[in-house]
Amino acid sequence: MLRLTLAQMRRSLGRLTAAGIAIVISTAFVAATLLAGDAMTRTTYDAVSRSYAQADLVLSQAPMTGKDLAVVGSVPGVEAVHAPLTGWVEVPNGGGITYLEVTTPAQDPRLEGSTVLDGRLPDGPGQIAMPADVVERLGLSLADQVPATQTTYREDPEDPENVVPDTLEDELELVGVLDDTGTALMGGGPAVVDRTDLARWLRFLEPEATTDVHHLVLVAVQDGVPVTEVRESLRTALDGDIAVRTVDEQAAETVAGLTNSAQVFTAIVLGFAAIALLVAALVIANTFQVLVAQRTRTLALLRCVGADRAQLRRSVVTEALLLGVAASVVGTALGTLVVQGVLGILTRMDTDVPVPDGVNLTAVSVLVPVAVGVTMTVLAALAPARAATRVAPLAALRPAEAPRVTHRSGRVRAVLSGLLMVGGFAGLALGVVIGPRVDLMLGLAVGVLGGAASFVGVLLGSVFWVPRLVGRFGRLLSRGGVAATLAAANTVRNPRRTAATSAALLIGVTLVAMMSTGAASTRASLDEALNDEFPVDVEVITANRSAGAPAMPADVLSGIRGTAGIAAVAELTSTVVMVNGTEEIGVDAVDPAAAAEVLRSPEQLAGLDASSVVVPAAVARWSGITTGSEVTMLSDDGTSLTLTAVVTDLAAYSAVVLPEVLEQLDPSAAVTSVWVRLAHLDDVERVVAEIQQLASGADVAVAVQGAAVERAFYQRVINTLLAVVVGLLGVAVVIALIGVANTLSLSVLERRRESATLRAIGLSRRQLRGTLAIEGMLIAGVGAVVGSVLGVAYGWAGAQTVLGEVSSVGLTVPWRDLALVLVVALLAGLLASVVPGRSAARTSPVAALAVE
Amino acid sequence: MDTTTSPPSTTTAAVRARGLTKTYGSGEAAVHALAGVDVDFAAGEFTAIMGPSGSGKSTLMHLLAGLDSATSGQAVLGSTEITGMDDRALTRLRRERIGFVFQSFNLLPMFTAEQNITLPLELAGAKVDREWFDTLTTTLGLADRLTHRPSELSGGQQQRVAVARALIARPDVVFADEPTGNLDSRSGAQVLSFLRRSVRELGRTIIMVTHDPSAAAYADRVVLIADGRIAGDITDPTPESVLAGLDALRSLDDLPAVVR
Ligand SMILES: Nc1ncnc2c1ncn2[C@@H]1O[C@H](COP(=O)(O)OP(=O)(O)OP(=O)(O)O)[C@@H](O)[C@H]1O
Ligand SMILES: [Mg+2]
Repeated sequence: MLRLTLAQMRRSLGRLTAAGIAIVISTAFVAATLLAGDAMTRTTYDAVSRSYAQADLVLSQAPMTGKDLAVVGSVPGVEAVHAPLTGWVEVPNGGGITYLEVTTPAQDPRLEGSTVLDGRLPDGPGQIAMPADVVERLGLSLADQVPATQTTYREDPEDPENVVPDTLEDELELVGVLDDTGTALMGGGPAVVDRTDLARWLRFLEPEATTDVHHLVLVAVQDGVPVTEVRESLRTALDGDIAVRTVDEQAAETVAGLTNSAQVFTAIVLGFAAIALLVAALVIANTFQVLVAQRTRTLALLRCVGADRAQLRRSVVTEALLLGVAASVVGTALGTLVVQGVLGILTRMDTDVPVPDGVNLTAVSVLVPVAVGVTMTVLAALAPARAATRVAPLAALRPAEAPRVTHRSGRVRAVLSGLLMVGGFAGLALGVVIGPRVDLMLGLAVGVLGGAASFVGVLLGSVFWVPRLVGRFGRLLSRGGVAATLAAANTVRNPRRTAATSAALLIGVTLVAMMSTGAASTRASLDEALNDEFPVDVEVITANRSAGAPAMPADVLSGIRGTAGIAAVAELTSTVVMVNGTEEIGVDAVDPAAAAEVLRSPEQLAGLDASSVVVPAAVARWSGITTGSEVTMLSDDGTSLTLTAVVTDLAAYSAVVLPEVLEQLDPSAAVTSVWVRLAHLDDVERVVAEIQQLASGADVAVAVQGAAVERAFYQRVINTLLAVVVGLLGVAVVIALIGVANTLSLSVLERRRESATLRAIGLSRRQLRGTLAIEGMLIAGVGAVVGSVLGVAYGWAGAQTVLGEVSSVGLTVPWRDLALVLVVALLAGLLASVVPGRSAARTSPVAALAVE
Repeated sequence: MDTTTSPPSTTTAAVRARGLTKTYGSGEAAVHALAGVDVDFAAGEFTAIMGPSGSGKSTLMHLLAGLDSATSGQAVLGSTEITGMDDRALTRLRRERIGFVFQSFNLLPMFTAEQNITLPLELAGAKVDREWFDTLTTTLGLADRLTHRPSELSGGQQQRVAVARALIARPDVVFADEPTGNLDSRSGAQVLSFLRRSVRELGRTIIMVTHDPSAAAYADRVVLIADGRIAGDITDPTPESVLAGLDALRSLDDLPAVVR
């Protein structure tokens, strides 16, 4: 029997190869994911253990004091001890603050965990060495003076209810640049400062502390003394809370905690790999179905000569097993090579990304993809194997017939598919309702379940609707000529195969469309939320806006107006008044026309007139002002005005009045801030940088801030995520396209006689190729169109469920992406038809005359 | 012979072969399927080609119809030499001037009888001549079967659909390779008598390969082939004269065997 199986495989090599490619791609995907995840973990492990230098033992977990250190030093076998101080330092830069972990250098160089790339480690107070990535991010170079501050909050001596910030400011010289390889997952490596500096800072933060505390102590063991022996002695000598571990144990422990993110990453990517596997399984099942159908005669003959059902089933399963093993091994090797190649390129490019120089082949990374690939292949072949057992011995005597959906199984399938679709879409709708109104997690769970169920229903029902749709599209086309007529007729001949081929593509396209619709809708509602939250793209303000804020220098004002990429500018004058005799608040004045042009949500200033004042909700809350209440403002020079309050969501801390109103309160009020609206939000970085440049030349402190920066950040995050996700899903689409090519070439083989007949009665080669091209495009096109529609629905429902509460999510259809998907699918359908089309066109018409 | 509806070219040959040879393979393994065939087929005539299995009947027909390329020699359709034509020209030729009937019908399973019949016109982008279509389908007794698919038709009906398909474009010549080979004798007789009527009444030219002497008797003339050469010619054949001719061939055939 095995000999027979092998012989049959040899005859069907072409078809098996196509299915094999699908397996290769998906197992390569799995292997690459596992290896990449492993590489991330391993890099971190290396970096962690490197930070212990040549230490043998690491003490951690409980804070240790000088007393503990004395104990450690007295344990026999201990050669050297390094007990660094650790803490944090703030480095102000631009408008923000960078927080850096700091540690102290080791006395014994053998226990120094930091590796100096350039310069040296601090050898006295007033010096700092920083990891390379931080140095680059802050734009520093050796010998620069780096501001370093410590901030804490203490009780206000005058008002015990209040806390006030207390800041310690230092200037440190950058004396060294440290290697940061592999520290990415740990949030970056620590900077190194002199022990006296860090001790002083820690004392500043906690004046009550009486002794230095160490969270980590490194111990070197004397040569010749077994490390485990010293470990045991330390464990008995020290408090039980203190963990004593060898460096390896400690690194493994740390990595286990740190690589949570690496594991989550691996899990997510494996999720995409699972989708690719599912699509590949469809392609494989399809291929085997056809193989069995084509071998009906042979199988029936075998039954005639005495093969039993189990033997036939075993033959098909064996074939799948052999194919699965061969293709999975190739796929795993390919995945390994790809990761190896990428690592090689990354190493050579010398990026900041920490990379090991080679993959680490473990039993898991090799066996898991192979096992997954083989299992998937065999599982996918089970249904076709059962079909093989159903071949009656009599079939050998009958002319071969195309497999048809039997009526009974057809009805069961139709009912099941209908139920799943109706129930699923209802669940999806329910999720949209529940999510924002009742409970997000519940809504999400219902929605996801519903979506999945409806999708399974759609896939199950594909046998019914795909051929119908393809037929309808085909009929539309058939006015285009014979080729289209033939193609349309051919696609509906084998509904099951057409459906499975289209469905394979449908999966990938639906997911891609869902992701991009979700992202587009999210982006739209995110924009809406940001409009309310940050109505102004960029705000330029002079130093602090409390009493006596300096006027904005004229050259900065004109410079802002002259900056390219700016759509509108509004200038705000300001003063400070006493409200209702109790609270002091800032009051801004802006020309309503200019404000309306600048604000992303102009309604926040609606209703502003000469007798009213717009009060931001935040101010209203602590001053007790409500819409419609009278607000009496008393200015410095004793002018008093009573205005009607209008409370809005304006995200500000100053009330807003008309310029003529402010004129009465403070005739000398100057422009202290400017609102800027950008023509294109993408420009935000450049514009902010240019304004910052302008401002840095001014003699008063000017701060530039705005929602646009944050908005650009959010958009970039969404875009990057989307690109990655679409890229990963793309693998599934590629596999599905292989399925399309596979189906087409099978059709060509099956229709050899028909093609020859057509050629004999006058179909030209070009028309024959055209027929196949249209067939491919029909199958791919229907999959892509339906997938797009479903994906848009799912994506929108998802966005609605998650974000419905935050804002009304408009349906944003990513037309450009969808068009791209459709074009790619059609082109791929076309491409998939090229090779089969050529082989069909080569068929000589003589074949039509030959009797089988 | 009734030639009232025949085109004026009746007297000239519709198809001619001159020194036609076809060799499969080369060297030791070479098979000379045709070893220099000279033959004329008159227009408006129903000719049968007969000969032992493997004698080169199908090969000759393929070459005459431009389905395969000759090793040497000429095949001429009317006044057009078809040997040496490129695929595009051959396709046009088949579309417009040649019709085929195959032993195994070769209808397209996804099309109805009517669609199958009009397919050649559709391929050519030509209009269906309804009158001609009706003539064909009524004479072939297909009028009430037009909406059926091939799987719903009997073998004889399928073959009649194939004949209608071969004639719909009014080709110069119809080639038929063992058209009755898969039919019982009654269905076969129906198909054959229609082929003869289409020559007599509709003025077509038909060249048919067959093994069946009684089928050959429907033809106006029988051309005998043996070992890739023309081996005889019988005009106004009867089953008996054909059998006699074949027997003569067979004894010829047997001769070398005896010598050997
Ligand atoms: N493609 C081919 N390759 C090699 N030899 C071939 C090929 N086609 C035909 N032949 C050989 O050419 C010779 C003539 O074949 P052909 O098919 O014309 O015979 P035929 O007269 O039609 O026979 P039959 O009555 O059995 O159909 C035979 O010997 C056959 O083996
Ligand atoms: Mg033959």
